[in-house]
Amino acid sequence: MSPAFATAQESVPTLTVVAPLFNESQNVRPLVEWILQALETYPKTFEIILVDDGSRDGTWNEVRSAAADPRVRGLRLGSNVGQTAAMMAGFDNALGQVIVSLDGDLQNDPRDIPALVAKLDEGYDLVCGWRHQRQDKLILRKIPSWLANRLIRRLTGVPIRDNGCSLKAYRRELLQRIPLYAEQHRFIPALSASVGARITEMPVRHHARRFGESKYGISRTVKVLSDLITLKMITTFRSRPLLGFGLATLPALGVALVFGGLWVFSLTHFGPEKADALVFPGAGLLVLGVAFYLFMLGLVAEVALSSERGDASDIPNAWEVR
Amino acid sequence: MSAPQILMEPATDTSGPRTVAGSGFISVVVPVVERADDLLAVYRAFGRELDALPQEHEFLFVFDGSITPAPELVTLARQKEGVRILRFAREFGETAALQLGIEKSRGDLIITLPAYFQVQPEGIHRLLDGVSAGADMVVANRSPRLDGWLNRIQSRAFQSIIGGASEQRFHDMACGVRVMRRPVAQALPLYGDLHRFIPALALREGFRVDEVAVPQHPGDARMRVYGPGVYVRRLLDIAAFFFLAKFTEKPLRFFGLVGSLFIAAGTVLSLVLFIQRVDGQGIANRPALLLAVLFLALGVQLMGLGLVGEIIVHLRAPHRRAYRVRERA
Repeated sequence: MSPAFATAQESVPTLTVVAPLFNESQNVRPLVEWILQALETYPKTFEIILVDDGSRDGTWNEVRSAAADPRVRGLRLGSNVGQTAAMMAGFDNALGQVIVSLDGDLQNDPRDIPALVAKLDEGYDLVCGWRHQRQDKLILRKIPSWLANRLIRRLTGVPIRDNGCSLKAYRRELLQRIPLYAEQHRFIPALSASVGARITEMPVRHHARRFGESKYGISRTVKVLSDLITLKMITTFRSRPLLGFGLATLPALGVALVFGGLWVFSLTHFGPEKADALVFPGAGLLVLGVAFYLFMLGLVAEVALSSERGDASDIPNAWEVR
Repeated sequence: MSAPQILMEPATDTSGPRTVAGSGFISVVVPVVERADDLLAVYRAFGRELDALPQEHEFLFVFDGSITPAPELVTLARQKEGVRILRFAREFGETAALQLGIEKSRGDLIITLPAYFQVQPEGIHRLLDGVSAGADMVVANRSPRLDGWLNRIQSRAFQSIIGGASEQRFHDMACGVRVMRRPVAQALPLYGDLHRFIPALALREGFRVDEVAVPQHPGDARMRVYGPGVYVRRLLDIAAFFFLAKFTEKPLRFFGLVGSLFIAAGTVLSLVLFIQRVDGQGIANRPALLLAVLFLALGVQLMGLGLVGEIIVHLRAPHRRAYRVRERA
């Protein structure tokens, strides 16, 4: 191996730690120090990417001074785009083959990073942190989160207990397969499972917030519910939307049949004076219309799909059996 | 829609961009769409202000199909290299005119000006100063305003309706006087009639947008009352903008909410009917059942539409990023 090649390899970090920050100026310095300390004995090269998600409190100045360390890089986003997009900015710029994300608020413990990465090397594409002793408000954070996690688990069938924990380790190829948008960071395990990733979870430490304020409240419940419907739809019927819409027409057809039956029944049993009542056939035709409409929507979805698909990322992930 | 066609370009037009790297060449784009004053006067007044700057500048007048350029202006464009006239073959509107002007301009900085005096020409320096101070786009806020009360109420109402959809509050989004860096101009997702929302669009694309007060020109302060069709179109524009701002990434949050309201109404009505039926009242000859079924049907259809939207958004996700990196360290 030529020396030039060796140095080139050395300069490319194998591990990238991504931390999105929104108005966390007080937390930047301790966070970076903590991560560096935790990775002091890490045998391979690593980098830290701090993503300033349009903060308005001097977070960027802190990031800049932290970036004096060659292992730390900073990205400043033009405006506040939210946690998912900020994480995506970090992922897109990461050089490592292994990527770890964590919260910028010091609630995750960087000392868990080496263990997560070691777990990943056992043959997983995604290792999720599980905050088994979560240090947050019970009513506002823990109970909604417990309910949401149960619902996600039931609906997606992915047995991860803590979808909301930001501390996760990913293989680079996985992140290239699941382009995250909107607020999908909550559904990373389910989305990963849908492309065939090997997923596991492990308990991680969790600390109470020291500085600054939490950016989330209970108001997101409705959004999460709507996003869950989407997730279920997309992960199940991504490659065959017509089947999804086709299945949805079945209950509509069933209801239409019931109304039709009622009409025939009222015709035959109550005589012609009831036959003038158009309510049952009318309702039946309406529902029949819905079924027809859903089928057509499925066709529209197929058209959209056929015009956008066709690259390798459509093929599910698999690994060699040895 | 067919691509806008350029009918007229002055013979003096030098093809290919000239080398202006780093020098801060300024392009002034003037869409000439509905209302137009004496364009030569506009050119002279603003040109005089720009002459005082070290940077070179050019003027691009983009004429909509319905307006014919005055012969004096055409003569000027033939004589001066820094004046160009483009003209659509038919009416395409202000947004298309701005798009074409931006596309054909060569400047590192782009100034958009209405085809009439909206602000005092000296005010342009305040906008340029704002860009020098680090903003990606600076828009004018006509203040002090000389308009009559009716126009003020109109524009106040317009601004406060849009205010809810934008993260940053703009006081005079309808003002056509703006200065922007070239990358901003090229990143603007313009189509339809979205030019009225340019500051908010730039903000959403992740750029820094500032607003500076510039005195209104007395000529701008004339009474503006429009036909009802114009107001309806404006309201539809606002609705489109609202929807795009809030739900482009998550269509189901909108359609799902409206759809579930319909489904809830339909379910409640059905339950009431069911209880009445059990109670012994006939429902077969009452339109209430039709209404309940109609509500349910509408709700399901809206949810279905939202899901198709979600599928399209999901399919486009690999090619789209919601963030823009402003700075690296």
